[in-house]
Amino acid sequence: MKFGLAAASQKSILQLDPRTKLCLLIAVSLIMVGGKTVGVEFILRILCAALPFVLLLTVRAFKSALIYVILLGISVFCEGCVIPNLSGTPNLVLMILCGILSRFVPGYMMGWYTVRSTSVSEFITAMDKMHVPYFITIPFSVMFRYFPTLGEEYRSIHDAMKMREIGQSVKNPFTYIEYVLVPIMMSTVRIADELSAASLTKGLCAGGRRTHICEIKIKLYDWLLMFGSMAMIALFFVF
Amino acid sequence: MEKKFEVKDLITAGVFTALYFAVTFVVACIGFIPIFMVFLPLIGPIFTGIPLMLYFSKIKHFGMITISSVIIAILFFVTGHPYPIFIFCISAGLLTEFVLKAGNYQSIKSCVIGSSTFSLWLLGMVIAFFFGFRESYFASLIDGYGQEYVDKMMGYTPTWMFFAMIAMCLIGGLIGGLLGAKVLKKHFRKAGMV
Amino acid sequence: MIEFKNVTFTYSSVNADGTPVQQNGISRLDLTIQDGEFIVLTGRSGCGKTTVTRLINGLIPHYYNGTLSGEVLINGRSIPDTPIFETAKIVGSVFQNPRSQFFNVNTTDEIAFAAENQCRMPLEIKEAITKTAASMQIEKLLDRNIFELSGGEKQIIACAGIHVLSPDIIVLDEPSSNLDNEAIEKLKAVLTDWKALGKTIVIAEHRLYFLRDLADRMLILQDGGIIKKLSADEIKSLSIADTEKMGIRPLTLPEIPYSENCSERQSNLLILENFCFTYKDGKHGIHIPKLELPANRIIALIGRNGAGKSTLARNICGLERKCKGTLTLNGKKLKARDRLHHCYMIMQDVNHQLFTESVRDEVMLSMTDNSMTDELKLQRTAEILAQIDLTEYADTHPMALSGGQKQRTAIASGIASSKPILIFDEPTSGLDFVHMKQVAEQLKKLRDMGKTIFVVTHDNEFILACCDHIVRLENGSAVFISQNPAETEDYQKST
Repeated sequence: MKFGLAAASQKSILQLDPRTKLCLLIAVSLIMVGGKTVGVEFILRILCAALPFVLLLTVRAFKSALIYVILLGISVFCEGCVIPNLSGTPNLVLMILCGILSRFVPGYMMGWYTVRSTSVSEFITAMDKMHVPYFITIPFSVMFRYFPTLGEEYRSIHDAMKMREIGQSVKNPFTYIEYVLVPIMMSTVRIADELSAASLTKGLCAGGRRTHICEIKIKLYDWLLMFGSMAMIALFFVF
Repeated sequence: MEKKFEVKDLITAGVFTALYFAVTFVVACIGFIPIFMVFLPLIGPIFTGIPLMLYFSKIKHFGMITISSVIIAILFFVTGHPYPIFIFCISAGLLTEFVLKAGNYQSIKSCVIGSSTFSLWLLGMVIAFFFGFRESYFASLIDGYGQEYVDKMMGYTPTWMFFAMIAMCLIGGLIGGLLGAKVLKKHFRKAGMV
Repeated sequence: MIEFKNVTFTYSSVNADGTPVQQNGISRLDLTIQDGEFIVLTGRSGCGKTTVTRLINGLIPHYYNGTLSGEVLINGRSIPDTPIFETAKIVGSVFQNPRSQFFNVNTTDEIAFAAENQCRMPLEIKEAITKTAASMQIEKLLDRNIFELSGGEKQIIACAGIHVLSPDIIVLDEPSSNLDNEAIEKLKAVLTDWKALGKTIVIAEHRLYFLRDLADRMLILQDGGIIKKLSADEIKSLSIADTEKMGIRPLTLPEIPYSENCSERQSNLLILENFCFTYKDGKHGIHIPKLELPANRIIALIGRNGAGKSTLARNICGLERKCKGTLTLNGKKLKARDRLHHCYMIMQDVNHQLFTESVRDEVMLSMTDNSMTDELKLQRTAEILAQIDLTEYADTHPMALSGGQKQRTAIASGIASSKPILIFDEPTSGLDFVHMKQVAEQLKKLRDMGKTIFVVTHDNEFILACCDHIVRLENGSAVFISQNPAETEDYQKST
């Protein structure tokens, strides 16, 4: 399973603060999903569409950046040249597909950039600095720690099923799902128990504000970008 | 909140939200085929209901389900979903919280209903595809295609679909909850793990 | 000073029918541990040694439910009446399972975790981490993904987290059960260091050889009470015969006999050819052009962590489809896909391979032969369960069984699948002496049924107890093959 933030800090040309990324994310998804294609908003849309591309380049995600450009290019091309020449069902299907592509993909790419460029500890530290309460941040970090475990569990169970030739002997899909899910659920319960015990002996929830060894700082370009995204949102609502 | 959260509660919330999210993610991958996207609110909760019921059986305090819904909202938002996800997630979470509380966090019946109401958060993910951008998207088309064409398009994505989706969520969640209750009885109670 | 005054603890849990069960933890325990002492607790599983560690770090009564009577005092302060986060400042804990004791994904974060919880200043923590990393020589492990580390490295990270805070008391609950000999050496070095720093250490363990020079006192527990106390001198003078009598593991690491000449000439051979496989990272893998092994024997696969033992086991089993190698058994050449039908692996964590709601169903699930009638299957299942002493549990849910019983359930379904090759991955990790012996006997029984058995293991005591042949792997190649003389003679006599 590939989702989940990075474990170790990432090398990047541009080290943005997670809070800056959140601001940009809001601006991009707001403007791309709701924006019109005329006037000031048209310029805003172009800016917002270009932003994820540039940022993906800064974390060396060249492949993702390329896929992004191709997807966006196809949808713009279709909206401009192909759709007007079609009618009936193909027109409708293409239209909705392009609509989804051109409006949602920039947001997803921005999200992908956020996920790729932020380590778990940076994210948690940022949430703490934004005064998100402990009963959100603690489950949140547990969740990131549990994703890889889920992957490991799934692989072992998959191996066991292959070896026991269960895939062939079980025809009912619900039985199959039961065989995959039940062992995973059992170990989820077990890990929750053991992890709670271990965390207690390490003094989790001792009261007082936890400190963080991870340093995040809002630098000059963070301020600029944040200001920029605020301005874009303001423009978007004015026009 | 009557009682401060214990470490065990928070960790349980964390691991089960992770499991719930992972199952949703896997099902949503099937939903990449557009036609399945329409049925995601029905299919998703059927699968996620199974781990969700186990999670409900571990809940003893007010607030844990709301925590999970907030976490899911943050996670989807950070991965680029538009902001309405927050509204849908948190309302579904709170609603479920009250359903579970009505059953004193013990009744299986209220857990099954809770599984049904909790799945309403999926609307936040799906609805944006169908309605969130509809007005503005079509408005932008008026210039190029004319009002008549746009009216026709609006007709293809009618408003009743919204209610159909709510119904799908509720029914899917109900089926999932019942399946989950069955699995709990068949495995977890027998193994002495609930 | 840690004091136990007439302490009794019973766990309360709920069984399958929903009725509450009382499980004994410890009863009427009196014990005083002086500052700076190194105490080893041992005994059969379920003897109460883990309960003692939990009483010291406060998990009992703050986390595990039950009834507690008597007093547990650390420096005169009652632990049951102290909030657990206060206890956490003076007692550090290491647990058995390296997989489930981590809160973070990043190693440095994990080392800092306990210190962060105590609201220490970030700069101070960072300095402490740098110092700890230098003294434990783990600079290479910093800022890494914990999920990429081996079990041994994970345990060392857990120890480093404790070292940063440097509490006066450290309790360890079976820290070595998932480690190989090399990792145990590293653990031993850490423990030696802590002892020199004057820490009070309480360790519950089955494997004892690495504690021989460290222990000031060893307590053997049974049914929740101390049945034997040994001083440092007494521990050092224990012979293998003594420990066997006491039912505990030996205090010396038995050497594996090395004899390169395979005197046993056998016509029935198992031939591995062209077993080459590399993981995606390009570094780890195996490279075995040809390997001849006797069939119908117990073969131990040994070697250091990352030498390719598990990879070889997976490849023999046919779980890696990309492996082009073939295995010849009884004149039949088997490719990866065919091997899946001929091999059965009992995994280290058997929880992953038990799927159904009762032991009987579990065994039946393995009978994939459609020509068999259900009646015949039931009959055969009953036979197998009787063979493996599980008859009384036929209707029990596999997850309600003890670890050893789960393992036997997995073995039973292996027998039911009637596959000729069985592979065991670390079958004795975390097992006490008596249970280890039981597994050894089980393997011999399987050999007598005509199975060929591979065992991935680093438990020398276990190898001596049952393995006929030993294949040692280094960097993915088979380095030497030797015979276990004692075992082979035994076997030849008996047949």
